[in-house]
Amino acid sequence: MEEYITQRAKIAGEALAQLPTGEIAKAINILQAAYERDGRVYIFGNGGSLALATHWVSDFNKTVFSHNLDKHERRFQAVRLPSTEEELTAWANDVGYDMVFAGPLQNYLQDSDVVIAVSSSGNSLNVIKAVELTKQRRVPVIGISGMDGGRLRELADAKIHVQSAPGEYELVEGVHAVVLHIMVKYFKDYFNHRLMQTA
Amino acid sequence: MIISRAPLRISFMGGGSDLSAFYEKEVGRVISTAIDKYIYLVFNHTPMVNRVTARYFHSESVNHPLELKHDRIREALLDLGIKSNIEIGAFAHLPSRTGLGSSSSFSVALMKGLHAYLGKKIGARESAEAAARLETDLLKEPIGKQDHYAAAAGGFNVLEFHPDRVEVQPVLLDFERRALLEESIILFYTNITRDASTVLTEQSVRTKDDSAHREIVRRMVDMVLPFKDALMKGNLEDLGALLSRGWQLKRQLASNISNPVIDALYNAALEHGAWGGKLLGAGAGGCLLFLAPPERHAAIKAALFACAREHSLEETSDIPVRFVQSGAEIVFNTHHPQMVRTLEPVWKST
Repeated sequence: MEEYITQRAKIAGEALAQLPTGEIAKAINILQAAYERDGRVYIFGNGGSLALATHWVSDFNKTVFSHNLDKHERRFQAVRLPSTEEELTAWANDVGYDMVFAGPLQNYLQDSDVVIAVSSSGNSLNVIKAVELTKQRRVPVIGISGMDGGRLRELADAKIHVQSAPGEYELVEGVHAVVLHIMVKYFKDYFNHRLMQTA
Repeated sequence: MIISRAPLRISFMGGGSDLSAFYEKEVGRVISTAIDKYIYLVFNHTPMVNRVTARYFHSESVNHPLELKHDRIREALLDLGIKSNIEIGAFAHLPSRTGLGSSSSFSVALMKGLHAYLGKKIGARESAEAAARLETDLLKEPIGKQDHYAAAAGGFNVLEFHPDRVEVQPVLLDFERRALLEESIILFYTNITRDASTVLTEQSVRTKDDSAHREIVRRMVDMVLPFKDALMKGNLEDLGALLSRGWQLKRQLASNISNPVIDALYNAALEHGAWGGKLLGAGAGGCLLFLAPPERHAAIKAALFACAREHSLEETSDIPVRFVQSGAEIVFNTHHPQMVRTLEPVWKST
């Protein structure tokens, strides 16, 4: 059993060593620009990816500023979509599951916003529908994908693609969690540094 | 109502290679960053007022766009077929003619906003192309393309100019290196104003006809990637030296790029410990940029102000800047494009 575990850890290590650092840097710049214009960040995905999205929203809105919560005049405005279960079930039941993200996103999306789409296959229809809506509005998209990247990799402005064999969801979702935490840590360090500069 | 904005920029190296006289024959390259000083434009639909109103340094209200004195607004309205019932206001953090690319930032914000006014969302590349077309094709200004792309894209970029396209390559600086550079910068506004066109006209003619002149621009282009490398390493002293070498080359491009007052200010800063510097923009006035150890800033600024007084320059200032990632954007939009129905679908100037 230990051999199996070592083997899985090795695969994860290899995936981490090949992180698309340039694309993650681009994503960080896109988020920085949204912060400068007081725009919002919408994030969504299915299943485990939705859990990652929710976790990231909490970190990004609060943990990033947690050392000096009251010292920041402006904080991020990240929102997981749909923001209520009621919207999720209403869109799925009344219109179709492919509209659960694009539907609510249409209510919110402004020119100054940014969208983060998380899909391990890169091909989830509901994720792609929301990304297409975003692209139509000329709003930047950060696409976090796995496997071969699918449609999401083609459409996104920052293409954070964790290359993997088909069906490697556990690996991909794990690496996605690392990438999302890198963004959190970057901005946490950045805002601390800025506070020190102005102190 | 719609509010659009576009940032000004600091161009470090390679200016002049964005003129078609240069990049039609070989690749042009510039490194620049957007800064936290913006041009804001407000667009208001006035369904009951059949006039075109433009408020900027002057205020104009006319029956037809053709009568507007403001050339950029006039040509943009004519080109997009917007004939009447519109009010456009301009606001800026800094005055014009600073060498920070403000006129092109204005055009980028204008094209971004007017497209939104017509219900069309355009991205960074389309905004840059539309603004470059406005200034170089419609207004026949002898200017390069770097400022349109810098303003539209935002952030720190190497811009590459090819005959058929412009490539925007982001310089992915982390916050520590960005802050290091920000803290080293002195931006000194000379309050000597000039019109970029007069300098650039001479420069364009010479780049086309004069091989020695082209060689100077080529040497500046060749310094862009070394500048980027030094930047990524956080090697500020090298950056300062490169800036100064670039400025010494640039001075040779047109007879009127520098003058004795600018030279005196430049020398004062270097004598008081600046690593290097240059005049920003086309030349002959505007802002001087210096890189210097932060602990020397107070002495350098004092020397600059003293030198300015000696040469009877009034209302000079040092401008604090930070770099920004944001480019041209719509920051506010409560406009309903379907309300704009008094217009004929397409109206073109002859």
